Amino acid sequence: MLAASAAALPALLATAGCRSSDAFAGPDPLAGRPSLAPDVITLQAVIAAEQAMITLYRAAVDADLQATDRVRVLEGLLAQHREHLGQLQARLVLPPGSPSPSPSASPSASPSGSRGAVPARVTTARLRAAERASVTDLLRRLVTVEPALAQLFASIAASDATHVVALGG
Amino acid sequence: MAVRSVAGPDPAVQPVQALQAALAAEDAAIFGYGVAGAHLSGNRKTAAEQDWTRHNEARDTLTAMISALGATPAAAQAYYQLPFEVQDAASAAKLAAYLEEGVTRAYLGIVAVSDKRLRTFGALAMQVPAERAAFWRGSTEAFPGLEPS
Repeated sequence: MLAASAAALPALLATAGCRSSDAFAGPDPLAGRPSLAPDVITLQAVIAAEQAMITLYRAAVDADLQATDRVRVLEGLLAQHREHLGQLQARLVLPPGSPSPSPSASPSASPSGSRGAVPARVTTARLRAAERASVTDLLRRLVTVEPALAQLFASIAASDATHVVALGG
Repeated sequence: MAVRSVAGPDPAVQPVQALQAALAAEDAAIFGYGVAGAHLSGNRKTAAEQDWTRHNEARDTLTAMISALGATPAAAQAYYQLPFEVQDAASAAKLAAYLEEGVTRAYLGIVAVSDKRLRTFGALAMQVPAERAAFWRGSTEAFPGLEPS
């Protein structure tokens, strides 16, 4: 049925005095990408913040040359942040050609709430502050998204809260 | 383009139902800590006693919230079936972690309601048992309250 209709289209256009190219003159209504839904924008911002958190932890781990207890703790927390990122990215569905979220994709990308490069020496206090900022950010965002995503944000916020304690907070 | 929902479309979660589930979890934790505390000593016994007190306070808060919504808070059971036998400090700590994980899950259920204040309440409330679970377990988790995928 569909094939027959498609085959009949040029004949119909000719009957109407049109060429097929005339039918799509001007902006192509089929070429545009749909605008991003609010949940998608929120999720992209949270993904960017999680990526920034991972960057911060990696800097902290890389700065310690010895396998100290601190490094072992940080590596464990870093692994959990990577799990957060994986789950967040799994929830994101984007059309082909859409830019992927990056650490610079959002003003709130820095987990500590401040912009700028990661310092060479990332202190434990800085990581605690970043975890606390992440908890606050996720709590603020989870009231605006659909329930399943809100629960993921709440779970990650709770995980980050336990990280604060693990970091001596 | 969308946000992929792992669990599919969420049925509307009723506030009273979610609060009653949290209340039931708190009641079970209060009972469980009574068992666990009997097998602990020193700092761990003190921690268990403090946690038992916090669960009682949380139960009172939930009871008041349910009543404020015009519903009758569900009564605690006289006895709860424990998930495993508790006979020493190690199994008592394991039970405490189990209890806290269950309470964490119950509060996460409140996050699924549409009411923004209740969502925030649930998200904040679940952080406390998540921290206690990490204490008793000896390690943090990536996704407190959520089932491993």
